[in-house]
Amino acid sequence: MTVAGDTIVNLGYGEAELMAILMAREVRDGEVSACGALSQIPATGLLLAKEMHAPNAELIILNTVFRPFHTSRQFHFLAQRGELGLFFVSGVQIDGFGNYNLHQIGADPERPEVRFPGGYGGGMIYYCAQRTVVFRTEHTRRSLVERVDFISAAGSSPANVLRLGNPSKLITPKANFRFDKDAARLRLDTIHPTYTLEEIRENTGFDLGVTGPAAATPAPTAEELHALRSVVRPKMIATGTYAAWAERSIGSG
Amino acid sequence: MGVPYVPVIGLVGTDLLKRRDDMVLAPDPFDGKTVSVVARAMRPDVAVFHVDKADRQGNVSCGYPVEAVILAEASRHVIVTAEEIVDRLDEKDATGTFVPSILVDAVVHAPFGSHPAGMTGRYAPDKAHMKEYVAASRDDAAFAEYLKRYVFDVGSHAEYVERFVPREWQRPLTEVIR
Repeated sequence: MTVAGDTIVNLGYGEAELMAILMAREVRDGEVSACGALSQIPATGLLLAKEMHAPNAELIILNTVFRPFHTSRQFHFLAQRGELGLFFVSGVQIDGFGNYNLHQIGADPERPEVRFPGGYGGGMIYYCAQRTVVFRTEHTRRSLVERVDFISAAGSSPANVLRLGNPSKLITPKANFRFDKDAARLRLDTIHPTYTLEEIRENTGFDLGVTGPAAATPAPTAEELHALRSVVRPKMIATGTYAAWAERSIGSG
Repeated sequence: MGVPYVPVIGLVGTDLLKRRDDMVLAPDPFDGKTVSVVARAMRPDVAVFHVDKADRQGNVSCGYPVEAVILAEASRHVIVTAEEIVDRLDEKDATGTFVPSILVDAVVHAPFGSHPAGMTGRYAPDKAHMKEYVAASRDDAAFAEYLKRYVFDVGSHAEYVERFVPREWQRPLTEVIR
């Protein structure tokens, strides 16, 4: 259910389900796609893609049974070899330049208001994965900002710097943004059902980069919701892949 | 690895890089053009890490897969603390990562050595203690108080375990493992 203005509109799916479906659509068949630890929604999206259009996708879901490696080094080396097609990552803040922040909040970098555990290998994976989809479950002006307080991973880099891949999209519960590599900016791509351009503008701290009206995000299909609830959810529960979360956040089929 | 520096793909444009004087930008020596970060090799004087089992020669079974070998290789001296000391440990006996004794200088018997963090296969994190630790880390004075209570005013590891590891965890080790 989604709150739009004063009215509660029942769309027939939840926010986590929507985001998992949107992420699944980014997965390409035959590619290696991965997400990090504590990534319930991308993990769901990866498993869903395999049930839908990408049966030959190779998945790496760190810290679950869906991982071919024992240690992080093997994963990093695979990425450095350019073999990682798609990676999903989130940040506390994400800015219009495609930078994300997983380190700290506060105007003075020496006296941050809050410190987080940090970016792990994010500053490197962002350069190595062919495409990175950044996501944020909170679409507000405090999370989507003009400039992040601390750059943990950089959206763009000078042309002479060795870089294998780039940001591809930003996915939130309200809209999809695509990364314009030439302009080094995120631009509004599509708006999810029930939201308006005005609402997106009100809740986004950076310029949307659009002049005319934006296209609507295709709503989750019956097939996507069915596969998500009847196949992916039971699979997550049976394999201990964020089982408790799946029980809570994905509808039963 | 034993090499003086390695190229790193990434990190250019991050605030992380601004804070590191052991990482610089350098051109690819082969094409002379493509730039990447080059990181100076880390060569710690001493590495200390906690494992599941070790034998008297310094062969180590970490208990789970972990990047301990590369850490041991990089460091001039290696001290291993272990939940349990056994007479003889071969690579085939190891659970998770095995570290051969040639890389290890000293082994210390330290049951509950990970406390208040957890130890895979042995015990979970001590959540109450962790909460206290996080609260104490808010400011320097509170953290100094934490260090005094749990580190500086404690005479030995045995005393630490006796005073601060939850009583119900302190069963004979065989019971804890099963």
